[in-house]
Amino acid sequence: MKPQKPWVPFLFVAPALTFFIFAVLVPMIATAGFSFTDWNGFGEFNFVGFANYIELASDNIFAKSFTNVFLYILATLVLEVLVGLCLAGLISVQKSGSLWFRVALFAPVMLPMVVVAVLWSFIYNPDFGLVNSVLSAAGLEDWTRIWLGDPDTALWAISLVSGWVFSGFFMVIFYSALQQVPTELSEAARIDGASEWRIFWSVKIPFIRNAIEVGVLLCVTGAFQGFDLFFVLTNGGPFNATEIPTTLLVRTVFRNADVGYGSAMAVVLTLVILIVGWMFLRIRKWNDQKELRT
Amino acid sequence: MLKIKSTAVVALAAASALVLGACASSSDTTTDTEAVTSTESVSEGTLRVAMGSPGEAQIAVWDQVAAQFEMTNPGIDVEMNYVDDDLYQTIGLPNLLSGRDAPDVYFEWAGSRLAERYEGGYAADLTSYMTDGVLSGIWEDSTFSSGEYNDKLLLVPHKADVTNVLWYNVDMFNELGITPPETWSELMEVCRVVSEAGFIPMASGNKDFWAAGNWLGHLTSRVVGEDVYDSALAQRTSFNTPEWVEAFGYIKELADNGCVNESANAIADNEGAQLFFQGEAAMHPIGSWLVSWAIGEAPDLNFDYVNLPAMPNGAGDQGSVIGVVTGYVINEKSPMKDKAAEFLALANNAEFVAKFIEAEAVPLALSAANAELDDRTARLNSMLASSNTIVGPPDTDYDLEVADFFYRAVAAVMGGVSTPEEAAAELAAAIE
Repeated sequence: MKPQKPWVPFLFVAPALTFFIFAVLVPMIATAGFSFTDWNGFGEFNFVGFANYIELASDNIFAKSFTNVFLYILATLVLEVLVGLCLAGLISVQKSGSLWFRVALFAPVMLPMVVVAVLWSFIYNPDFGLVNSVLSAAGLEDWTRIWLGDPDTALWAISLVSGWVFSGFFMVIFYSALQQVPTELSEAARIDGASEWRIFWSVKIPFIRNAIEVGVLLCVTGAFQGFDLFFVLTNGGPFNATEIPTTLLVRTVFRNADVGYGSAMAVVLTLVILIVGWMFLRIRKWNDQKELRT
Repeated sequence: MLKIKSTAVVALAAASALVLGACASSSDTTTDTEAVTSTESVSEGTLRVAMGSPGEAQIAVWDQVAAQFEMTNPGIDVEMNYVDDDLYQTIGLPNLLSGRDAPDVYFEWAGSRLAERYEGGYAADLTSYMTDGVLSGIWEDSTFSSGEYNDKLLLVPHKADVTNVLWYNVDMFNELGITPPETWSELMEVCRVVSEAGFIPMASGNKDFWAAGNWLGHLTSRVVGEDVYDSALAQRTSFNTPEWVEAFGYIKELADNGCVNESANAIADNEGAQLFFQGEAAMHPIGSWLVSWAIGEAPDLNFDYVNLPAMPNGAGDQGSVIGVVTGYVINEKSPMKDKAAEFLALANNAEFVAKFIEAEAVPLALSAANAELDDRTARLNSMLASSNTIVGPPDTDYDLEVADFFYRAVAAVMGGVSTPEEAAAELAAAIE
């Protein structure tokens, strides 16, 4: 049947579409356009073709920023997702009194990241920070470090802060998912002699696989968007050891006033995120098909 | 604290202006903009003034200037825009200038930045205002040369800052029986004595690179010579030369001898200052602004300064001072240049100069000559005035990206990550 007013559906999507065009599409196209110029943010545009992209290809710091962000992703997958999963498992087993435990672990998520970063910059301060003071007081003077100033420890120190913040977030997600696991399944396994540990890994985890996949996706995309912790704690230092694409991009655009080059970085970063997202979906689809076959 | 009459301020203006002015006017230009001292008489509208945040005390003075200007100019609203310092210095000001409500008056540093503003069409020629207009008679004429470019006066001078000296804890030095170092070998000896006593010889917070970058920049200029320093930072010559390797070698020596806190590259400038304020460190290399800061944060600290020690066999002037003149520019595109000039004249009259001095800023205006200043501030001004050579800080006198590369290179040497040879080669490659 032919609709009498075919334009009505378009009317409904128009507000959202308008917002999408001006808030997402136009900036993206503009950024892609800027990446072919040497614009400094306020002067004249000069078309430079692919010069920015050619320069990016040999930019060691840009390459290092991706290495760093992938290492950060690996660390946060453990410190945020895995730890969050384990915490969710613990509180789902012991329900009495777990409310305070959940609140305490979730509290860091409610703090603004800049506040978290400033807080941890005091904790990590090499001269009067909590970590080194505790180590010194415990007679472990040799273990004290310039945590954020040592290229060997800076990235892991930031990852730990990230884990402290977001493990509680993932714990809540996984805890909610675990509440959906039918008690019959656990009870059946228990009757069959399975331990709580075995029930958790072999019954509950497979059941909440979708939630875990969402958690991993959130963790990976969140890591690419990470900026505030890095900016406040190390600003990409020491010696680019914690430089990630976003900090480098901000420095290039806002410090060095190189909007053209920064736009090329943004385009490449967007492409990498899209590729990672696409790979994630492919792997998920492949797993689903494999499951159907078996 | 001893207070002395600062008659050095005027002399300071003259001397600092000469050298910095030479730097600013050394650049080539092809622009042929005519002098703009328009006779337009806009009597109503909004006068927009932009600057980095000068701190609460000075903001209060600027707000009073604005209020008084509005009172004497009915129909004119003054809109003061105080922007975060780092943001203002980088993308903030260019964004404001290219925006719809561009400032009529804005803060700027003398040197290459000022030339860039002129070339971009954002700096009006103020020659007639300053020679026989509303801005005449407020400063020594020689002060203007710091803001001169292409034979045009572009900058209304406001302040001159020594951006780096070596502050030291007088009581700690007395206790340890050491004297302020005046040569490189004396500095190394002081480092040894202070380290052995269990203190940090020099505290620096270099996470954002400029803090140590500026004083190490000054150090390198003493070694390679001011001409070589200027030409390399202006990208006319390479950093990958034996003289730069030698200069970076002294930074390595500083690090090897434990002169600087190991945490230098991991902590912010205020954290570095705290080490000095709390008596953990014997020395702290930073600029003239430390005086008011330290008086507020560590009122019991007995501190004084010494200029950067002389470098052995250095090609530069071993009495050089690193410093910069700052002031205000009237936007070439402003429809109310006359009012903008009147506003700046008001801000620099005797009444407001006295208020700025109370707010720990020492304007270059003639009326500041008789003001009572902190002894150290007065001596710093005097040192700047009497110096034959004033070196420009990399991040105000040169391209920001080049300054950033330079700062990172010296930080890498100081942190032991790069050898002097590697730093020189990598810096040259990055700039090329």
